[in-house]
Amino acid sequence: MFKQFTENINANQAYLLFSLGIFFVFFIVVAIMLIRIRKSHVDHMSDLPLHDSDTETPQSLQL
Amino acid sequence: MQPENFYYDNKIVRNFGIATVIWGIIGMTVGLIIAIQLYHPGANMGNQYTTYGRIRPLHTNAVIFAFVGNAIFMGVYYSLQRLLKARMFSDVLSRIHFWGWQLIILSAVITLPLGLTTSHEYAELEWPIDIAITVIWVVFGWNMFGTIFKRRERHLYVAIWFYIATFITIAVLHVVNSFELPVSAFKSYMVYAGVQDALVQWWYGHNAVAFFLTTPYLGMMYYFLPKMANRPVYSYKLSILHFWALIFIYIWAGPHHLLYTTLPGWAQSLGVAFSIMLIAPSWGGMINGLLTLRGAWDKVRDDVILKFMVVALTAYGMATFEGPMLSLKQVNSIAHFSDWIIAHVHVGALGWNGFLTFAMLYWLIPRIYKTELFSKKLASFHFWIGTLGILFYAIPMYWAGFTQSLMLKEFTAEGMLKYPNFLESTLQILPMHMMRSAGGAMYLLGVIVMAYNLTRTALQGKLVANEAAQAMPLAPVHTIARESAWHRRLERKPIQMLIAALLVILVGTFVELMPTLTISSNIPTIAAVKPYTPLELQGRDLYIREGCVNCHSQTVRPFRSETERYGEYSKAGEFVYDHPFLWGSKRTGPDLAREGQKYGNAWHYNHLMDPRLMSPGSIMPEYSWLLTQTLDTSLTVAKINAMRTLGVPYAPGYEKVANAELDKQAKAIAANLGADHIKVKSDKEVIAIIAYLQRLGTDIKANKTANK
Repeated sequence: MFKQFTENINANQAYLLFSLGIFFVFFIVVAIMLIRIRKSHVDHMSDLPLHDSDTETPQSLQL
Repeated sequence: MQPENFYYDNKIVRNFGIATVIWGIIGMTVGLIIAIQLYHPGANMGNQYTTYGRIRPLHTNAVIFAFVGNAIFMGVYYSLQRLLKARMFSDVLSRIHFWGWQLIILSAVITLPLGLTTSHEYAELEWPIDIAITVIWVVFGWNMFGTIFKRRERHLYVAIWFYIATFITIAVLHVVNSFELPVSAFKSYMVYAGVQDALVQWWYGHNAVAFFLTTPYLGMMYYFLPKMANRPVYSYKLSILHFWALIFIYIWAGPHHLLYTTLPGWAQSLGVAFSIMLIAPSWGGMINGLLTLRGAWDKVRDDVILKFMVVALTAYGMATFEGPMLSLKQVNSIAHFSDWIIAHVHVGALGWNGFLTFAMLYWLIPRIYKTELFSKKLASFHFWIGTLGILFYAIPMYWAGFTQSLMLKEFTAEGMLKYPNFLESTLQILPMHMMRSAGGAMYLLGVIVMAYNLTRTALQGKLVANEAAQAMPLAPVHTIARESAWHRRLERKPIQMLIAALLVILVGTFVELMPTLTISSNIPTIAAVKPYTPLELQGRDLYIREGCVNCHSQTVRPFRSETERYGEYSKAGEFVYDHPFLWGSKRTGPDLAREGQKYGNAWHYNHLMDPRLMSPGSIMPEYSWLLTQTLDTSLTVAKINAMRTLGVPYAPGYEKVANAELDKQAKAIAANLGADHIKVKSDKEVIAIIAYLQRLGTDIKANKTANK
């Protein structure tokens, strides 16, 4: 079933190889970024939506 | 440092919420009307302004840009303020954004039924409205970035990156796909032609799904789902990977809409490869959402909002698994142009976008009105009727798609097409189309019940237009320790985030678009292909006005089942003067790429007057107004000039004789019709559209004869 893909490459391998290269580099960079993130920061970030709520607002401030 | 007191703007959230519900009901009602027209053509009420070809784009634009669009702004304006601990940057900009967007939608409601369209799918609106969209989109971005700059939370939560990527990518897509040369106030020609136009359009079309229907909704999922389930997202690291992988890969996948067309083979293959890779980030996001509910599944049993979210995520998972499968050439050869694709997009639209929107509305409205939901029972009813509606919609459409495609591909033992008449396959699937409209009606009923429920909720509460909040101001940047992790730094630099997202989407865009747009050898020209005559050009514009492209494709794929049925498969060089391309994406009727000279002029005349005269049982609408309306030739000169500017080789000064040529050709067709006892004046619109239909695909036929 992959015959169609390999047959279509012809003289345009450069585009495909460039795409593969970009793809590869991109994911390595993202992986390094992920590895370098600290646990404490991750916890802080994932808590952000939970600590923005209106319940924290003092009643005296309500309009 | 003292905490600062400020107020969240809930009124703008409420306004976008109201617009979401109203436009949702309108858009879905139009959808139901056109669904009924597909088995009962008389449902167009005999009126050109309510006929399928013209209001199908109204349906798609209304649900995408009006229903989903307003829901995006509702969700973004609610979550952005809270995630950044700041009021929206400017109330004036918020209001301009809101009313500007509604006016754009209103202009679509007026212009599309009038037949004012570019014919680019999901980008049908004509050039003045395109400019208005650009302005309002900039207002939205200005307001969003203004808010980001005055925030009280240093790091940007993952939802906001999705919003930023949405803003910048939609801007790029919209601008590149709107390069049009105006001919008059509401008529323009696309700058690109043929295969290039097709490539740009489907790069746009595919990524409009990605960055309008997907990324903003993922951002809202990452904000609202943790709120609804009251627990943090399953994996924040996975959400980072999800974000970068999704925006990087999505942009490459557009060519899977053009498999087996004349698009260069390498571009098709690249599109397929990236489409398959797209499963990974899509499912990563879905799994991240579903696992956020870990330990909270007992809540799903009681909480209708979570039920909506679970179905939304499941629909997202199904649609994003199916998408890559559909991009496999073998699967695509069956699914493309069929009702299968209609099922696929509606699983996404009704399930993912619709249900996530409903969950947000049920969650938001009681909160900003400081009250409880009016009726949980009605919400539960909405959930079940909506879910059943999706099933009744999707299953018959899958069935219809398979049935019709397989019928059209079937050969007899003698090697002849088993169903040489396309209409046979249409009649076979009419029951499925009836069931589909029942499914759609159920879904719409649910939305109407929701509208009632939310209205009662609002009436029993009181809108907290300005909601008080308190937060510490941001400390100056020099006081914080240098952050070693790249991504942590990126998370507090919105402009760098914007540029990074832009670069990521531009890589794929350039690799895919540039070679086909700039290297002329990618589009081999054919000497026999000549520009359209003035009458044919006018006929083509009528074809565009009536939205024929919504049901008839104009590209024959290189399959024996298609070359037997339609004729020689299409070549890239045949479309070099087609501004815009009219390949279409759905065959509700047969392909027309080789329609020219297949039937006589009288056949076309009678067929347009009443399709059932020539094809008993046909579901095509009657185009009786073409027989009575006079062709507007006042723009012929401007059209010829515009085409010449775009590179169509009309001889210098040709525009001066164009209308005389047009008259001559029209008189010949009228005389030919007269010989068949059809009395018609040569200045009627039907003459122009017959001229165009008779031209379709004949350049190559002429070439063949010449070579013999």
